[in-house]
Amino acid sequence: MATASETTLVNTHNESGTKWWTRFLDPSERTLAVLLLMPAALLLTLIIVYPVCRLIWTSFQNLSLTSGVPAAFAGLENYSLMLEDPVFWETTWNTILITLITVPGALFVGLALALMANLPFNVKWPVRLSLLIPWALPLSFAGLIFAWFFHSEYGVVNDVLRRIGIEGVIWFNSANWAFAAICLTIIWKTSSFMALIILAGLQTIPRSLYEAADVDGAGRLRQFFEITLPLLKPAIVVALIFRTITALQTFDIPFTMTRGGPGTSTATLAMYIHQNTVDFLDLGYGSALAVVMFVLSMGVTAVYLRMIRAKG
Amino acid sequence: MSHDTNANRSLFSGKPLRILIGFILVVNGMFPALWILFTSLKTEAELTVKPITWLPHAPTIANYLRAFTDQPLLLFLFNSFMVAILSTALTLFISVLAAYALARLQLRGRDLILSAIIAVSTFPLVTLLVPLFEIMRALGLLNTWVALILPYTVLSLPVCTLILVSFFEGIPRDLENSAMIDGCTRIGALFKVVVPLSAPGVFTAGILAFVNAWDEFLLALSFNSNPALRTLPVGITLYQGEFAFPWPVISAALVVGIVPVAVLIVIFQERVVSGLTSGGIKG
Repeated sequence: MATASETTLVNTHNESGTKWWTRFLDPSERTLAVLLLMPAALLLTLIIVYPVCRLIWTSFQNLSLTSGVPAAFAGLENYSLMLEDPVFWETTWNTILITLITVPGALFVGLALALMANLPFNVKWPVRLSLLIPWALPLSFAGLIFAWFFHSEYGVVNDVLRRIGIEGVIWFNSANWAFAAICLTIIWKTSSFMALIILAGLQTIPRSLYEAADVDGAGRLRQFFEITLPLLKPAIVVALIFRTITALQTFDIPFTMTRGGPGTSTATLAMYIHQNTVDFLDLGYGSALAVVMFVLSMGVTAVYLRMIRAKG
Repeated sequence: MSHDTNANRSLFSGKPLRILIGFILVVNGMFPALWILFTSLKTEAELTVKPITWLPHAPTIANYLRAFTDQPLLLFLFNSFMVAILSTALTLFISVLAAYALARLQLRGRDLILSAIIAVSTFPLVTLLVPLFEIMRALGLLNTWVALILPYTVLSLPVCTLILVSFFEGIPRDLENSAMIDGCTRIGALFKVVVPLSAPGVFTAGILAFVNAWDEFLLALSFNSNPALRTLPVGITLYQGEFAFPWPVISAALVVGIVPVAVLIVIFQERVVSGLTSGGIKG
């Protein structure tokens, strides 16, 4: 595409330039900018804008592919069904709980990892790789690996517990322990990404600030709370937004570790959307559930954006 | 070797402590992958010994052979590679064009478009499962690579565009102008001058797009029910039998799936870090 327009253009440059196709091939800067943005706009329209409209529309429809009944407008029926559906409340609560536990968890672990990784190591690549590998590992792989870690008979977690004299538990038989195992896995998987972002923030803090604090006699701990943390805030806020929004979408790790079990005690909203859509083919109800998640994550984005503006 | 500006300002210093901390970091990052490697080399008999062994006593590659014969692992790898490479190529092409418009050309509403791009990067794609499923079904794209390539491109488009904008802004305009005086068009100058000079940025964006696509699970699980089109993350869940969970074989398949991305990360580690922390962010 580039070469074709290029060769034609070289030829037409010397001509009068009034023919319409000449103008098309040698557009003004503004037209060119619009043309260059067109592929991105078309793709986003197909994959985001149109689907969002369609999602909202479908959520007011009675549309189940298994019932054989044609789609019909159902008003708020899907939503009122949802409010009376205990599994909806359970999966939504699980999702919120996972977010409330793993986002601060990943932040604290990530902060600790970043402070440790910021030490003057002579060889830097092992530390860098140790932060990159968990990030690059697919979430579903992390779920499978940690399911094996927490295996009651042959898992390494119970083995380590036994060595230090603690009786292990059958992790995936109990709703609470299964939930704990899932949260620990998510924190491990996501904290290294937090650490990378915080580490980049740490390395931009000018050394002179600490030297001045030394002169003023401020101790290391006070320096951490009064210099390091405040200057890290922008990096932390950005990382938190993305982490919170991905936590609300949690699917891969519980799906590969427990399939939502025992019962539906570790199922998330994303898993329930997936089940209704792909397994039950109940697109109307699946859409109504998705609208809830959509509203939740838009709410988070709005709160954070306001926080940035207020503090910025 | 010069140290980081304030690297030794941390709460801890002293060499033995530093080595201990380095060890903790490496164990935290590497142990899960190492453990799965150990598991994959153990025999079935060794795996059911109690108390469990850590290092494999009699390493065997039998689990790798079974991983490739129990399920079409090679096919899963091929599908993952093709989907990841094609969506990376499409992402780069679209974001190069968009980034050039945003970095170089007069454009009304530039800031608005940039914030729209940032908003898209926080968009929860899971919520679009139903409409995307319907659209792909209507277009006859379910059980094709395209059903995954298009959403994956959207997944990486914002990050890649932002990285490329910052790289393009760093290329001197003179170089572009002299290329245009030599008879290049703007588009020609973009692909002959700007893109080659921004190679590190294009590379960084490409690696991020590749890893995003390689890792994605939910859409791959939902849109491709045909086993022959499964990508690796979805395919590996197929090793799970009705009652049995053949852990050594699953471990071997996981190791096979980790290696390609691990190689990319080892080779391009600095580039990946700079891409993650500067241009854009995606968990």
